[in-house]
Amino acid sequence: MTPDTSLKFSCRRMHMYSNGDRMMKKIVISVLGQDRPGIIAAITKALFLADCNIENVSQTILQAEFSGIFIASIPADRSALDLRSHLEKALMPLKQHVYVKYLEYDKGDYPFDESEPFIIVTKGPDRKGLVAGITEVIAQYGANVTNMQAVFEGGDDPDKNIMIYEVDIPTQIDQQKFHEDLRNRANELGLNLSIQHRNIFKAINRI
Amino acid sequence: MLTGREIISTLEMLQNEHLDVRTVTLGISLLDCADSDLKTFKDNVMKRITTLAKDLVKVCNQVGDKYGIPVVNKRIAVSPIAVVGAPFSSPQLVEIAKSLNAAAEAVDIDFIGGFTALVEKGMAKGDRELIRAIPQALAETERVCASVNVASTLAGINMNAVLRMGKVIKQAAELSKEKDGIACAKLCVFANIPQDIPFMAGAYLGIGEPDAVINVGVSGPGVVKKAIDRALESEDKIDLGRISEIIKRTAYKVTRVGELIGREVAENLNICFGVADLSLAPTPHVGDSVGEIFQSLGLRSIGVPGTTAALALLNDAVKKGGAFASSHVGGLSGAFIPVSEDLNIGKAAEEGYLSLEKLEALTSVCSVGLDMVAIPGDTSEDTISAIIADEMAIGVVNKKTTAARLIPVPGKKAGERAFFGGLLGESAIVSVNNAKGANPFIRLAGRIPAPIHSLTN
Repeated sequence: MTPDTSLKFSCRRMHMYSNGDRMMKKIVISVLGQDRPGIIAAITKALFLADCNIENVSQTILQAEFSGIFIASIPADRSALDLRSHLEKALMPLKQHVYVKYLEYDKGDYPFDESEPFIIVTKGPDRKGLVAGITEVIAQYGANVTNMQAVFEGGDDPDKNIMIYEVDIPTQIDQQKFHEDLRNRANELGLNLSIQHRNIFKAINRI
Repeated sequence: MLTGREIISTLEMLQNEHLDVRTVTLGISLLDCADSDLKTFKDNVMKRITTLAKDLVKVCNQVGDKYGIPVVNKRIAVSPIAVVGAPFSSPQLVEIAKSLNAAAEAVDIDFIGGFTALVEKGMAKGDRELIRAIPQALAETERVCASVNVASTLAGINMNAVLRMGKVIKQAAELSKEKDGIACAKLCVFANIPQDIPFMAGAYLGIGEPDAVINVGVSGPGVVKKAIDRALESEDKIDLGRISEIIKRTAYKVTRVGELIGREVAENLNICFGVADLSLAPTPHVGDSVGEIFQSLGLRSIGVPGTTAALALLNDAVKKGGAFASSHVGGLSGAFIPVSEDLNIGKAAEEGYLSLEKLEALTSVCSVGLDMVAIPGDTSEDTISAIIADEMAIGVVNKKTTAARLIPVPGKKAGERAFFGGLLGESAIVSVNNAKGANPFIRLAGRIPAPIHSLTN
């Protein structure tokens, strides 16, 4: 999807709201590029100059790559395309890529089933298709991966390749069958798999 | 948000370090089952136990699976039978023991405690009859556990009872001689018995407890050992203060597990949660040993000089960590040193590092007592009573719980091995001073008065 079509596509279901005096619309900005000092300063300055209000931010550094997501609101009569141009200009010297789209829903719109938080951990030699294989089973049961961490160090030492999936598992599914299918898939992939409720990790590690 | 390190270290504890919930014990009050007609009483007891405990095993397994932590044993502790069954004679009490055994089988639990008498200041009729019934009751059932409290800091030591218990232990051994005296492995003699221990053989439901209660006993000596090993390897400036801190934090984590599981089991069964007993209780499996902790600390074996100090440090750190982890800590809560249930401790006894005398010294700083100690089969009643008396004195004067679970193995001598099987393990038979001799001091009997510092009113 090119930057233009991502805006066009999301604009069909853009979310607008009133903040009292004006109509606002929400946009999502995603930034990717090699990590270095100054990225967030550049983005936030550009947003400030464009009369935007930043509502929430999340950023990660994966290997050496910076990735940031910003949810911002801009006045409904401002052009998101213009905003994107401003951002691109501001970030080009820092060699960052920008993607902009409208936020297409209100918080809590997706009808998630009632669920319990579990943690799935796999350990095993690295090879293609491990994450795809496990997440396929997770998706089949309508469970949602809320956080994922990978410790891939390559090679054959099973203890060096660990994937941690934090998963919300719907309470209404057949839990036994789900666990069984997971373990079978893990066996096929040569992985050791464990699954337990998140509370045990919280109980042990948090006061 | 949980960090990867927290998740991985928790899994390490669960999968490689033998962290588990050692027991969930359902305490069941039988006080209102009391009846002077034996059949009515037995029926009441059977009905009470099978009704309340029918889902115990199932719920424990479900909760264990949810968290990936096995609940290794599910047990039941009842009101002291000497109280509830006070009108009955010894033969009738043996029948009651068999009823308890049948109830335990019906709900698929491996031990039921509460065949208990509390005689620290004197014996009543029910107590006398129960004590007399103990040898046969334990020899003819598999799952019943008995305990007798013969001393307390407030009451002193009932030496008449101590003398009786020497005889009872010998009788119980004789009646189970084809199994190396295993009946004695299900009998504990206590000073200051806590009313809510989840562990056997001392578990019983005290007077003053509710209708039903869930008590949980955690464990994890392997987790503590690994934590010490890691610290010694990775930290430069490590001293005993720092080690105490590490043990304390580890005990915190271990107890949290027990608290979480115990509360959830209690909630699912609609029974109130009692206490978490955060004892380090070993099993005969490799890596699940308290004895190995001493070696990690740098002692050649448990029993060599330095052991008592090390155990004092360990026991105290465990209590501190556990106390922070749970709002209701009870039972024994410390480190166990059972000779037969811990491979490493058993070996230490066999190789001569750990003598009966050293074990006795250790009981002054740990939470149990002379636990699962196999002694020569020809040890006299007097000597057994005398060993118990020594142990009781330590408990009474130091305001702590002590106990003796002694097994005179019929036909075997010091240095030979006794085989009990399963969780009870096997061990070398330790030698005893003046084993066969008579003991006129003990025979003076009567009551040793309560120590002066019990006058706290």
